Amino acid sequence: MTVVVEGALAVALLAFVLAVAVLTALVRDVLTAVVVFAAYSLGLAILWELYRAPDVGLTEAAVGAGVTTALFLLAISRTVRPADSGWLVDPRSVRPRSVFVAGAVTVGLLVTVPALPPVGASETAAFGPVSAFYLSDAADRGVDNAVTAVLVVYRGFDTFGEVAVVFAAAVAALAVLGREAVA
Amino acid sequence: MTRTPYTDSPVVTTTVRLLAPFVLTYGLFTMFHGTSSVGGGFQGGVVAAATVITLAFALGIRQTADWLDGRALAALVVAGPLVFGAVALAGVAAGGAFLQFDVLPVPKATVYATEAVEIGIGATVGAVIVALFVRLADGYEEPSAPGSTATATATDGGREPVAALATHDAPGEVPRDE
Repeated sequence: MTVVVEGALAVALLAFVLAVAVLTALVRDVLTAVVVFAAYSLGLAILWELYRAPDVGLTEAAVGAGVTTALFLLAISRTVRPADSGWLVDPRSVRPRSVFVAGAVTVGLLVTVPALPPVGASETAAFGPVSAFYLSDAADRGVDNAVTAVLVVYRGFDTFGEVAVVFAAAVAALAVLGREAVA
Repeated sequence: MTRTPYTDSPVVTTTVRLLAPFVLTYGLFTMFHGTSSVGGGFQGGVVAAATVITLAFALGIRQTADWLDGRALAALVVAGPLVFGAVALAGVAAGGAFLQFDVLPVPKATVYATEAVEIGIGATVGAVIVALFVRLADGYEEPSAPGSTATATATDGGREPVAALATHDAPGEVPRDE
């Protein structure tokens, strides 16, 4: 029963995500596109929760639906919105080349889907002996959230590098904006 | 108090005033509790920064930016790499390897070392997001309160502006009143 409900929910969410993704590209008003794109991130976040990846879902909701939307809103605040014509883009203004590239990328990605293992397949690398070690060893060390344990305790070098990247990106962005003070 | 009070929908300001403490608490909980529940420094830092951004949208971006302490924000930006580096080198000092936590001479060393690293990550991520937001908002001026003359309405031929904008002299030092 639960499996049926979860399956139906997943299909509905995937359809929603697909619809708002296409809508993001099609709506004429940039402000509407930003809001629709936030809905896309929200749908993805709920999907992650459904697939039992709450850490990723939380990140998607906070970064994708929250902060990115705020930054986009600031970015478009200097633009003007068209008061006339319909709410979808004029099809004549779309370059066929762009449609072809987008379609080719989509088809190229879709043909790789059958190569993926089914959800929860036990013979994938994620269920190898190293996972069992991580789960039991992290619990022995008192770190109950295995995701945090992998990020900091077992993959500390990578996470150290990520923090350095965030720091360097901030310095670079402030340099490009020509600002020395952060606030 | 010399700044122009920014007035917006009372529904928005009231809602944000009501929600902000809870969102900030959730962000800090996510940051501090990353070893035993969902999330960690990165997510917690983003949620905490989102609190500041929400406050800015509701109460005025410039006013919120003035309220921020630039030096404290800069200190938070560098906190992550510094704390991570210090914890990593503490492993070496205690006779272990770089980033080895269980040799540290404290009880539940791995847990507390991980927590310290997570809090550092949260400080850096949150402060970086706030700083980027504030800096991107330079030159953005809110739709002004009634009676203010700062609004530049850029209406040209049937197009309405997304937001009223005016150029803004780059403020090297933010004037602090109050």
